[in-house]
Amino acid sequence: MGAGNGLQLGRNPFAAGDRRICRRYGFGNSSYERGREMTRGKKTGSGNAGNLKKRWNKYLVAGMIMTGIAVMLGVTGFFWTPYSTTAMSASERFAGPSLRHIFGTDNFGRDIFSRVMQGLGTTIGVSSLVVLFSGAMGILLGAFTGYFGGVADEIVMRITDALNGFPSILLTLVIISLLGTGRQNVIISLGLVFVPGYVRIVRGEFIRLRDADYIKRARMMGAGKFRILFIHILPNIFSVFWVSVMIGFNNAILAESGMSYLGIGVQPPDASLGNMLSDAQGYLQSAPWYAMAPGLTIVWVVLGFSLFSEGIRRRAE
Amino acid sequence: MKYLGKKIMTLIMTLFLVSAAAFLAFQIIPGDVVASILGTEATPEREAQLREELGFNDPPLVRYGRWVTGVLQGDLGVSYRYSKNMNEMMPVAELIGDKLPVTLWLAVLSFVFIAAVSIPLGVAWAKSGSRFLDAALGVITQTAMAVPSFFLGILVTYVFGILFHLFSPGAYVGYEDNFWGFLGYLVFPALSIALPKIAMTARFLRNSMLTELGLDYVRTAYSKGCTKKRVMYGHVLRNAMMPVITFLGMIVAEIVAGSIVIEQVFGLPGIGRLLISSISTRDFPVVEILILYITFVVIFVYFLVDLLYKVIDPRIS
Amino acid sequence: MIRIENLSVAFGETEVVKNVSLDLADGEILGLVGESGSGKSVTALTLMGLAADSARITGGRILFDDVVLREAGKPCDKALYRKYQGAKMSMVFQEPQTSLNPTQRVGRQVEEMLRLHTGMTKEEIRKCVLETFEAVGLRDTERVYASYPHQLSGGMRQRIMIAMAVILHPRLLVADEPTTALDVTIQSQIIELLRRINQKQNNAMLFITHDLHLARRFCHKVAVMKDGEVVEEGPAAEVFGNPRQAYTKRLVESVPSRLDGGEKTPEPERTKEAPVLQVRDLWVYYQDGNDKLIPRTEDADAGKGFSLRNILFRNRRQFVVQDADFEIYPGESLGLVGESGCGKTSLSKAILGMNRHIQGEIVHHCLRPQMIFQDPYSSLNPSKTIGWLLQEPLRAAGALDKSAAMTKKDMETAAYDMLKRVGMEEKYFYRKPSELSGGQRQRVSIAQALITNPGFIVADEPVSALDVTIQAQIMELLLKLQQEMHLACLFISHDINVVYKMCRRIMVMKEGRIIEIGDREEIFSHPREEYTKLLLCNGEEKRDNSPENAPAVMKPGCGAYGVPQESGQGQE
Repeated sequence: MGAGNGLQLGRNPFAAGDRRICRRYGFGNSSYERGREMTRGKKTGSGNAGNLKKRWNKYLVAGMIMTGIAVMLGVTGFFWTPYSTTAMSASERFAGPSLRHIFGTDNFGRDIFSRVMQGLGTTIGVSSLVVLFSGAMGILLGAFTGYFGGVADEIVMRITDALNGFPSILLTLVIISLLGTGRQNVIISLGLVFVPGYVRIVRGEFIRLRDADYIKRARMMGAGKFRILFIHILPNIFSVFWVSVMIGFNNAILAESGMSYLGIGVQPPDASLGNMLSDAQGYLQSAPWYAMAPGLTIVWVVLGFSLFSEGIRRRAE
Repeated sequence: MKYLGKKIMTLIMTLFLVSAAAFLAFQIIPGDVVASILGTEATPEREAQLREELGFNDPPLVRYGRWVTGVLQGDLGVSYRYSKNMNEMMPVAELIGDKLPVTLWLAVLSFVFIAAVSIPLGVAWAKSGSRFLDAALGVITQTAMAVPSFFLGILVTYVFGILFHLFSPGAYVGYEDNFWGFLGYLVFPALSIALPKIAMTARFLRNSMLTELGLDYVRTAYSKGCTKKRVMYGHVLRNAMMPVITFLGMIVAEIVAGSIVIEQVFGLPGIGRLLISSISTRDFPVVEILILYITFVVIFVYFLVDLLYKVIDPRIS
Repeated sequence: MIRIENLSVAFGETEVVKNVSLDLADGEILGLVGESGSGKSVTALTLMGLAADSARITGGRILFDDVVLREAGKPCDKALYRKYQGAKMSMVFQEPQTSLNPTQRVGRQVEEMLRLHTGMTKEEIRKCVLETFEAVGLRDTERVYASYPHQLSGGMRQRIMIAMAVILHPRLLVADEPTTALDVTIQSQIIELLRRINQKQNNAMLFITHDLHLARRFCHKVAVMKDGEVVEEGPAAEVFGNPRQAYTKRLVESVPSRLDGGEKTPEPERTKEAPVLQVRDLWVYYQDGNDKLIPRTEDADAGKGFSLRNILFRNRRQFVVQDADFEIYPGESLGLVGESGCGKTSLSKAILGMNRHIQGEIVHHCLRPQMIFQDPYSSLNPSKTIGWLLQEPLRAAGALDKSAAMTKKDMETAAYDMLKRVGMEEKYFYRKPSELSGGQRQRVSIAQALITNPGFIVADEPVSALDVTIQAQIMELLLKLQQEMHLACLFISHDINVVYKMCRRIMVMKEGRIIEIGDREEIFSHPREEYTKLLLCNGEEKRDNSPENAPAVMKPGCGAYGVPQESGQGQE
């Protein structure tokens, strides 16, 4: 499940290291460049070719292609699938992958590819709503607590700190056991569980920028508080924020499919990748493709999003 | 000493808060527990009797107080679902007792795998100057991190169980019967938990080492005439390990979370499986105790990490 | 002894060091000066065999006593280098803070030198290290020996670095900006220490610095580098006193100097106008715990002592500015000099209303004073265009006061106009700050501060992060705008020469107190305070001085090198 496997939001352990590596220019990251050597005139404004190279990197391209395909299939799966996802056919039970059924058929003779498309749609839909909710909450709470500090900040931080170190699966399970299973409850529980991660990131960025010289200047000019928050500061945290959105997306996908796998998430007859996997496990010996199709699809999507986030991060640096 | 005392206080406070939250949350659940326990045998008299027996007529805070005192004295309450026989209810302690070792051994085994593989791998990765190896390990670890643990469990079952017949899936051996057979069976679920974490930790360590290698003091060490080996093991490794220790603490928390899912995949009778089934059957006394227990483990691990950190990092006072 | 012959070093395709030849004899101090990016550090690192693997030698060679250490086309022989590194040549780095391993006791780190290159026993090693510590002027050597770097002050750390470098009496000592990261008073101690070591051990020293005054005072010979090439080389007095190359001339002229600068500084007409800023009896403090103001009389003892109240409420209050009292008149620049941590920034923050923890009186006679910051890289919002940034103050002013609101077109015109006034072309209007160089950014910064015509600005080290030639341009610009706009300015700097050039009146600050305030000529010729003298000495320039008769700043101290000991408590 999400917490079991995904990177936790807010502790992106890989950020610091890679940044150094790609900027590594001998001992380039040492005090030498930080200190005296501030005139970077020659390196900046290097023209369009340099910018273009900066804008695209192989992680970004690979990630965009992979997620692009997945999202397209998933969104299509909402409206149209090659075969009906519920039509059973006794004659075609456990047909292996073929041109007719590229992922084969399942124990009821249903087309696995169509069901994967539909499941992908569900998964992506659920994850989008989760990320939308928790991201928006994270920006609001993080911006205000980070910028203004004070008692509200103390309270929010205590709570998020306590929740952050915690396996998020546990919290999800508690909420699910309170609310019951089902698609909406998955969205609600994951949405709530992911909020602290975003709050922490956004808050951290706002605290960092709150004391930046250019924000001090904005204050001295007499710019209003909201203007400083959302026009002066917010655009500068987007690259960091998008990375965490991608990671959050991943965690949501993993969590959703994990919960469905455990039978406490999306309930049949709605197709979901996790459901399919738990069904398929019983037929592993006779029809291994049944399990591989949804499983590899999850791997594909998650890998796509992690490459995407990696690409965005590298571009931002 | 003051540091230690403060940390222990925080630990106890957190446990109390979590226990209160866990207990009280389940008091607001809709649906009458008593009716659902009795099921078809429900008569108003029996319901009233059971209600009195379970102490449901008292206000929540009184019941919480009773529960906490009970827990502190070793009385974990009784399960709503399981019963010893017609007249005796099943104590939670007994229910959990024989499941605990399974989960514990699974976690220990996973952690041993992770530590034993990821640390040498990370160091070797950071040391290697080969671009090919670097890129290859990058792709492999990135992919390994994208595989959800339940799908990895299925893959392991398929590859080692069905293709190579190294174990027979589902044929779990109890630790009471044959300890080594039990451990041998646990290797595969532990592997499923460990693989993505190995990738994460190795990556993290490698990045941490590269970060350190870019710092000024490394140049100082070289300027003294140190060999690369001496710089690596005498100066860099210790400093690079510090963030990794925190990271491993988080990994332990995630192992606990991951085992909840993996026990389901491999049919292990551990507390994770009990938790899931108790949630679906709304057996709240069991859920409460399990949440408290997992919380305790996680917080305790963080506590240990804090202590360890203080021992090895002179900068923390 | 050391010869660098026609050395060229390249990273990838770009050559950062081109055809550099240098000679160093025993006992000689060679200064390598130049602006950032001129290749001086790369030259030194290559000489030491510490350049990154990606640095290729594309030409020339390095000789140490006729042994070829490196040669074009051949990979770095690391085993050979290791015999020299530490034992025969060693290096002192710029940042003692980061150049020491944070998790090892400093004694152990110095010991490593002896472990690597000598066969001494444990006791001998320990004894030798302690002796060297004493020799470089460290007190309480046993305690220092067992300390971690973070427990020591910056000056002490640099002494440790020097002890490490000289413990084996190397023939060559490379010092890369060894005092840049330190405070002025510590700087002179460290320089003195290096000089004594040089005299005692008679080692050759390659001294890298961007500070021309320092190079002139300290070095026998200097080589001026620009864009990877040595443009001029010779005895220090000659190169700086009588530069032959155009670049050296420009460099020397750019250095703010008391002997030729200053006449452009506008003279305020104090009698006619009321001051723009009056500061009366101002105290600024930081406080843990609560924000409540407590009358000052109560504070003398608060925070001290072991009372229950202090433990419970942590009501400690530290005054960072004490009893400041001055005024600034229209069109005038008031200079504020002092070391880091002396309260300069706290004072300016208080004046601009960014610190609520004050007592006393601050009276402004102008609307919204603005500020220019030190770091041009953090003072412009990276996500906006220059044009947007320039218009923002106008928008903010319009939002606050409807009568000041301007139309979009007017704002744009004003922004273009301001851009031109700070000497920048119109094409930058739609650029983002990341596309600008440091000097250009500082120009935009100035434009943004002045576009609302504030009448009074605070300039906090506005040129300290810039190279000398850029520094000179920005100072010219500020002087010009100041005259045009009749602008009052509180000019903060640690560099007394910069302040001399910019300001008629100067305040000297130390440990939160303004210890001296007055006309610049008076302060420079008759400093009343010991501290002011010390500051002046550091920025001293004597066109005829040579290292031998350099001013003895320090009182004679003890230790094997006869060096002064570290001052103050040292413990941080």
